[in-house]
Amino acid sequence: MTDSDFQSLPPTRRDFLRQLAAAGAAVTLAPYFLAPSFAEARETAAAGAMETALSPVPAGPEAVDVTLTINGAKQTLKLDPRVSLLDALRERLNLTGSKKGCDHGQCGACTVLVNGRRINSCLSLAVTHEGDEVITIEGLAQGNELHPVQSAFIKHDGFQCGYCTPGQICSAVACIAEGHTKHDDEIREWMSGNLCRCGAYPNIVAAINEAKGQPQPALKRQLSSVS
Amino acid sequence: MTNTLVGKPVDRVDGRLKVTGGARYSAEFNAAGLLHAALVLSTVSKGKITAIDTAAAEAAPGVRSVLTHRNAPKLKEPKPDFANGGGIRNEERIPLSDDKIGYGGQYVALVVADTFERAAHAASLVRVSYAAEPPELNKEQASATKRKPKENDQGEKTQLKKGDVAAALADASLVKIEATYETPTETHNPMEPSATVAMWEGEDRLVVFDATQYVKGTQDVVAQAFGLQRAQVRVICPFVGGGFGCKGAVWPHTILAAMAAKVVKAPVKLSLSRHAMFSGTGHRTPTTQKVALAASRDGKLHAIRHHVETLMSPFGEFVETCGARSTGVMYASPAIEVEETLYEVNVAPPTFMRAPGECPGTYALECALDELSYALKMDPVALRLANHADNHPFKNKPFSAKHLKEAYALGAEKFGWSRRKPEPRAMRDGPLLVGWGMATATYPGYKMNAEAKARLNADGTARVQCATHDLGTGAYTIFTQISAQTLGVPLEKVTFELGSSDLPFGPVAGGSNSTATVGSAIYDAAQDLHNQLIALAVLDPQSPLRGLNPGDVALAAPGQLGSKSQPAKTDSFAEILRRAGKEFVEGEARMKPESKEAPPFEFQSFGAHFVEVKIDPAVPRVQVSRVVSVMNCGQIINPKTARSQVLGGVIMGIGMALEEETVYDPPTGLPVTRNLADYHVPVNADAPSVEAYFVGEPDYHFNPLGARGLGEIGITGAAAAVANAVFHATGQRVRDLPITPDKLLI
Ligand code: FES
Ligand code: FES
Repeated sequence: MTDSDFQSLPPTRRDFLRQLAAAGAAVTLAPYFLAPSFAEARETAAAGAMETALSPVPAGPEAVDVTLTINGAKQTLKLDPRVSLLDALRERLNLTGSKKGCDHGQCGACTVLVNGRRINSCLSLAVTHEGDEVITIEGLAQGNELHPVQSAFIKHDGFQCGYCTPGQICSAVACIAEGHTKHDDEIREWMSGNLCRCGAYPNIVAAINEAKGQPQPALKRQLSSVS
Repeated sequence: MTNTLVGKPVDRVDGRLKVTGGARYSAEFNAAGLLHAALVLSTVSKGKITAIDTAAAEAAPGVRSVLTHRNAPKLKEPKPDFANGGGIRNEERIPLSDDKIGYGGQYVALVVADTFERAAHAASLVRVSYAAEPPELNKEQASATKRKPKENDQGEKTQLKKGDVAAALADASLVKIEATYETPTETHNPMEPSATVAMWEGEDRLVVFDATQYVKGTQDVVAQAFGLQRAQVRVICPFVGGGFGCKGAVWPHTILAAMAAKVVKAPVKLSLSRHAMFSGTGHRTPTTQKVALAASRDGKLHAIRHHVETLMSPFGEFVETCGARSTGVMYASPAIEVEETLYEVNVAPPTFMRAPGECPGTYALECALDELSYALKMDPVALRLANHADNHPFKNKPFSAKHLKEAYALGAEKFGWSRRKPEPRAMRDGPLLVGWGMATATYPGYKMNAEAKARLNADGTARVQCATHDLGTGAYTIFTQISAQTLGVPLEKVTFELGSSDLPFGPVAGGSNSTATVGSAIYDAAQDLHNQLIALAVLDPQSPLRGLNPGDVALAAPGQLGSKSQPAKTDSFAEILRRAGKEFVEGEARMKPESKEAPPFEFQSFGAHFVEVKIDPAVPRVQVSRVVSVMNCGQIINPKTARSQVLGGVIMGIGMALEEETVYDPPTGLPVTRNLADYHVPVNADAPSVEAYFVGEPDYHFNPLGARGLGEIGITGAAAAVANAVFHATGQRVRDLPITPDKLLI
């Protein structure tokens, strides 16, 4: 992919903020075991053993301040400059939806949207994202209403273990916004940065085909306002 | 049992959690005061550690401890008894227990620090000196260690013989094929790297969040290592990000995380890097398989000889039972000889990987059959039909509910096999060579031990529990379906719990056994629960069922018991519980796999793959363009998740055929392809459209649900079908996987 492929993509800061405001800030909390039938499973899993809120992470004298907006909420973090955006999300903010599959930019499990573009968050240092707008898998649903790509993944069984899934879905949202979904082969090519060892690929293609025709709530608005 | 749910393509009950990022995997259980660990891996494959300098690491910011063999606490060597519900070890050595190096990538130190970044940096400061010896990496170098194991780790016979193979192979009137097939080391590479979060509560209680296919097994091995009772160790794993076998055994990192947490007296997280996953959690051993076939002109096999050579590590035996699990079950032949030979090399321990034995074994056998079909000028499907086995070739018992002939027929029809031109290089799509190949798939029906507990509450909800696992297989969903159906409670009212050692015993999620094993336990627990309700009802003067013989009462409709002889007499769960003043009733079951007498049937699933490849002759990169797979696995509980299992197996089989290979550096023995850029797994663009179909009938001889598991069968035969299609397209027979473009350049 060359940079020119993105020429039509970058939104203005204002558009982006407007869209995030519409999405609401409530999404900053990880939807931890959302489905009611999992309430008890959660209890079993978590009983007496963990806290959902992280204790403060030491940052050391070399720490750098960075302010970025994540799923609509502004966050100021004091970070060791070596912390990747992925680890900032997972280890500092408890946004564990973004996955670490390789930490080398080779699998796409960590895909998030930064200023509307899909990136591998493991390949990017968090402190380089001053002022950036980050959307993670936790920020796609609007309250209880799933993003159309999320619903399509469930309908078409676009996952098995679910570990690549947040990355696949963020990538698919961007892929649709980029317009790289004209036919199956184009989808396959433009989704090939997201590995799925469970081999859900045919179902992922089916899910994207289903979702691409539907109104894309957040990202579409943001991108369509780019002229 | 009215069939309302089993067999329906229900969406995954954990789907919403997975698409919203809400499903928590092992590395994501962050405790207060959590510390992070980073590993130091051996850079030699054989020898001894002569010195370790940890001073710089210990002085680095945030570091709490640096563990090496010099200061690591001495633990007990666990001896798990798998056959009786114990755990699994493929590396039978406590990490950091001495200075010996048996393979490259072996853990030689562990750094614990307050952040991941600091731990990783400090680990880079540890200096290890070795007295290295040249490693033995292949069977030629390790010839002195050659041996023939009598049994594999499951107690199955590995050396098989019947009839006079030598005579048939010497018979000049028969058509013969003799060829050697090789498969490389393959590494599972689930997308979730293995990870353990360990925390002690005092001196003698341990909680472990571990990425595992076997919570009870991890509990057993970890408890033994630390000299604890099982009940003192809790292992929790609600979601597994894929396993494919590499999370079935307890690997050194799990023990190390618990050891480190004990030393620093704080919770410790140890996540393996992708690099460490190439030596730390097993792989599929490379195989060399010599296959010889002798057949008469009508296609009937007179002899099959299948000799297999595989490799194992110095730290534990593992037999990839290629011959016995393919040739040993597949075709009717009066003479069959299977031999498995092992060599010990300086490579990390191999382990089971999706269809261990069957997967590489069917590659060799089914390619040999294809070669025979050309020698005989016989259609590959017709050749297989001519050798169809009604009875198990060695056990002389009929297969239960075997519908392989239907699988061939349906697959051929859906694929359009009758339009195949038999000669190689005869089919084209413009400039592209087109090849059509097929192969048979097979996997046994395994059952293990399991217990299940079911609770029905007065408010109509139910909770069913078993310490089983969902690796992406759909276990949460199908066990919710089975629970709902067997209990007679609506699906949305049922919570199925798995993935915790606190729950009733569940076996390893391996050998495609879970559906049959856990499903049967749920079935029995539901019966037990109904019996309690029936007992309440028949003794209750206000019940319409009062005074009836309990044997006459059964589940009549969802939420309702009724009399079999007088169908008008019914009573509802809710009313029975209300009148009895009970909040809930509970049922339990303990399932044992085998009764004393061996069953009169063999339980084995079969299927067939039909594959189309397209190849540009100028740049002979193989693209699989179409696959039709038909499987016979008894009752399908959920066609949606079942289809996904087959798709996943086929796509992994395409990776095996065309891309996957773990390469070791000869001088050092270190894996060279130790990341996902160098070890190629299929990407979306490599995956064709796959049609999956199921044929047959419920196998009620096997279990009351009639289901045989299907997590593994999809990969068996898949690589052979691709390789056979490549031959059909090009006329070139590549006998060493993967079939990369260089091997097709003439
Ligand atoms: S974790 Fe970032 S690409 Fe793999
Ligand atoms: S769903 Fe398991 S890796 Fe994609």
